Amino acid sequence: MQLAKDNYMYQMIRCELVDAVGKEFVNSGSADGLGHSVDYYWIPEMWHDRGLEPQKPDFVVHPGSTEEVAKVMKIANQYKIPVTPWGGGSGSQGGALPIYGGIILDMKRMNKVVEIDTRTLSVTCETGINAQHLEWAVEKAGYSTMHFPASIACATIGGFLAHRGTGVLSTKYGKIEDMVMSLEVVTPTGEIINTLPVPRHASGPDLTMLFLGSEGTLGVMTKVTLKIHPVPEARKFHAFLFPDMHSAMTAGAGLMHSRLQPCAIRLYDGPETAKLIKRVLGIDREGAYLVFGFDGPEKIVDLQMERACEICRNANPKEDLGTKSGEAWWNNRYKFFYPPYMFHMPQAFGTLDTVATFGKIENVYWAMKNTVETNFPEATFIGHFSHWYDWGCMLYARFIFEKAPEDPAEAAALYNRVWDMAIRAAIKEGGVINEHHGVGLKLGRLMKELYGPAMHVLEDIKKQLDPNNIMNPGKMGFKGV
Amino acid sequence: MHINQFTEVISACRFCFMCRHLSAVGQAGCREADTPRGRALIADSIRMHPEKIADADFVDTIYRSDLAGSNRFHCDGYHDGKGYDEVGLQLALRRDIVEAGTQPENVKKIADEFEKTADWKVEGAGDVLYFTDRYSQSTPEIAQSFAKLAEKGAVKYRTISGGCIGKVLRVLGYADRSKAVAKKFAAFINGLGAKTLVVSNPAAYDTLVNDYKEYGIELKVKVMHSSEFIANLKLAYKPIKESVGYIESDFLKNYVKNYPYPAELLKQIGAKCEPIGTNIEESYTAGEAAVVLPLLNPTLTGQLAGQVAKSVDNELLLTASPYTRRTLSDANLKVLTLEEFAAQSL
Ligand SMILES: Cc1cc2nc3c(=O)[nH]c(=O)nc-3n(C[C@H](O)[C@H](O)[C@H](O)COP(=O)(O)OP(=O)(O)OC[C@H]3O[C@@H](n4cnc5c(N)ncnc54)[C@H](O)[C@@H]3O)c2cc1C
Ligand code: SF4
Repeated sequence: MQLAKDNYMYQMIRCELVDAVGKEFVNSGSADGLGHSVDYYWIPEMWHDRGLEPQKPDFVVHPGSTEEVAKVMKIANQYKIPVTPWGGGSGSQGGALPIYGGIILDMKRMNKVVEIDTRTLSVTCETGINAQHLEWAVEKAGYSTMHFPASIACATIGGFLAHRGTGVLSTKYGKIEDMVMSLEVVTPTGEIINTLPVPRHASGPDLTMLFLGSEGTLGVMTKVTLKIHPVPEARKFHAFLFPDMHSAMTAGAGLMHSRLQPCAIRLYDGPETAKLIKRVLGIDREGAYLVFGFDGPEKIVDLQMERACEICRNANPKEDLGTKSGEAWWNNRYKFFYPPYMFHMPQAFGTLDTVATFGKIENVYWAMKNTVETNFPEATFIGHFSHWYDWGCMLYARFIFEKAPEDPAEAAALYNRVWDMAIRAAIKEGGVINEHHGVGLKLGRLMKELYGPAMHVLEDIKKQLDPNNIMNPGKMGFKGV
Repeated sequence: MHINQFTEVISACRFCFMCRHLSAVGQAGCREADTPRGRALIADSIRMHPEKIADADFVDTIYRSDLAGSNRFHCDGYHDGKGYDEVGLQLALRRDIVEAGTQPENVKKIADEFEKTADWKVEGAGDVLYFTDRYSQSTPEIAQSFAKLAEKGAVKYRTISGGCIGKVLRVLGYADRSKAVAKKFAAFINGLGAKTLVVSNPAAYDTLVNDYKEYGIELKVKVMHSSEFIANLKLAYKPIKESVGYIESDFLKNYVKNYPYPAELLKQIGAKCEPIGTNIEESYTAGEAAVVLPLLNPTLTGQLAGQVAKSVDNELLLTASPYTRRTLSDANLKVLTLEEFAAQSL
């Protein structure tokens, strides 16, 4: 859309938005416009870096309550203006970008902790709360959300719900979708609905799951009740070095098959061990670095740790790196994401994250790696396996070009080609488009290939809920305006 | 442009979200622009398109910042003590704005008014000098408490009262005028032949210790924040029952880097310190490091103070900063400076 500010319709709509949320919470200034035109997706970053202006919203609206969100949705429907929810803007898929202008619904003002229920062990909060702030508030009450993503300080809870995000302790405590008890949602037409109060039931299909991962295309999640946990008495880590990724994977799968309950497992392939483990942790070795941890009552932790180390020792490691290098990883787990450790311009980089069963995950890895290395010899491919399940694990692979073409159109074309080829290779081997960063603008075009005829089901749901196609159009494979 | 000396900071911060949770101003207004990332994007835009220095919304955003430097504490933690100086970038950008003449009218006015106050008078006798600035003077209880403590410690001191010693001009972007005032103050102090200069305001401490050093100005006195001076007196205090919450000063924590004396003094007094809010990283000073935020943007200052009121549940708050004492008292919080608390505990 992008209305001219001297257009009287712009002013008319602005007046209605001001009426809904208050004058100081409707912003159309250049500073906020700039902040909202770039999220953590490489393409708008590159666009900005080249001195170009990424698309800006017409209005940035900060609702302060669910009712205000509903009012904004009704106004947007009336005028058929696109609405894009924005949490912390830390999404890497361009999901929060106002690609058609319109309204950015910045959720950060909805940041209240509503209730900590110590009988149920749950917290109810508004979704615009920063994840670190929520964790601090819950910790103050003596508990933890156990949701520790690397972007804990950057992102809102709403963003994690919208992307089915995950934290470093997911192997024991689950991804965000495993933590949710229930949701309050404002639909695209402005109705306020609640999903059932408990996550396990046989009262029809699960509406909560419909909204989790919907990336602002099916409605605005305004409140959530999440499980919380007692702070464990002990949390311990241990690391091993394996001669290669395959033997490390055998050990990692062995840990999961043993049905021990590790809170985290992370396995770095050879190139990432050589690059990042050396740079960030100072462990300079050739091979595949595997680290895992347990938490809970200390005696149980020790027992599980002993058994886990036995499994690893039986899998022929190159070296037992011990507890210290395991703890070092835990203590520095966020450091990887701070400049200058994080990849940055002029590099072009992307996280090709996917998930598959143990039977397929190594093939997925090799398919992606070969695709990137064969077709883009100037790119480096590194990867680690971050989130582990009873049945498989998640691959967090990265491609890195030391320098992307200067011409922005050429750079974007190269970038998209890598994604298309690598993701198609993953899908062919039994992987999916993404595991916890979502689809957004970046990968929408591949959704039909992933879902096949089932994509119609999603499209029909979208049409039903959002007849005017105003909610985050053009994202997640849904049509644009 | 001065921001060109900070290209590394711009490159690091413009696409980095890792300290946004610590931006008190960002939380007060929920604006994306009021974060280190948002401001670095603005700086980058101006770097690439210098004409944008006239963009009133960009300029306003840069002057909204509380300059708290919480990111210094946070970012440093992850960078082996070598974090990115986002505050330095903002000060450089303010200099560029002033040099381009696009600063808001009230910035000019505040700078002119403060520059005029750069005049000091000395009273009393003694080897120690005690400087009270504008904020300390606006709460006379601070100087009265200092007097009581000094008397107990049998210290004779001379009081210096007066206005700007450089900080206000510096934070508003008038680096050259700040330096000129600093030179004048240093000449005045050096002419008094004293050994020690005590200041109650952490802003003054940071100015005299860090800014003067950067300007190449030598002070022939040992500068101390009052907490250090009082702690050195090693006075006896009566036992205290009530618990208190200590609000860290942005200057002493993030600029001077964990100045140990407030904690040491509280230990000597035997105060039972409860944590503030939910964490030790955020700034609860209501804009201390922006020094004149209440003049620049009273609404925002009120929002910051309101935010502190919402996040702290301590009955009595202590601060090393007369600014914070004043601003939070205005928001109906019970706040004392360290001098006042120490004097009450004698
Ligand atoms: C340094 C770094 C490290 C990261 N590490 C992790 C990690 O460990 N684990 C992980 O899962 N992710 C990680 N991410 C990615 C990112 O933090 C997540 O995708 C996060 O979920 C985004 O949240 P946000 O609040 O920033 O959302 P935004 O980027 O603002 O928005 C993301 C999407 O959610 C939608 N949305 C936002 N709020 C709502 C709402 N209330 N209702 C409906 N839709 C909404 C938006 O429209 C958009 O489509 C990382 C990102 C960075 C920058
Ligand atoms: S100061 Fe550090 S943590 Fe904050 S935005 Fe800049 S680089 Fe990131």
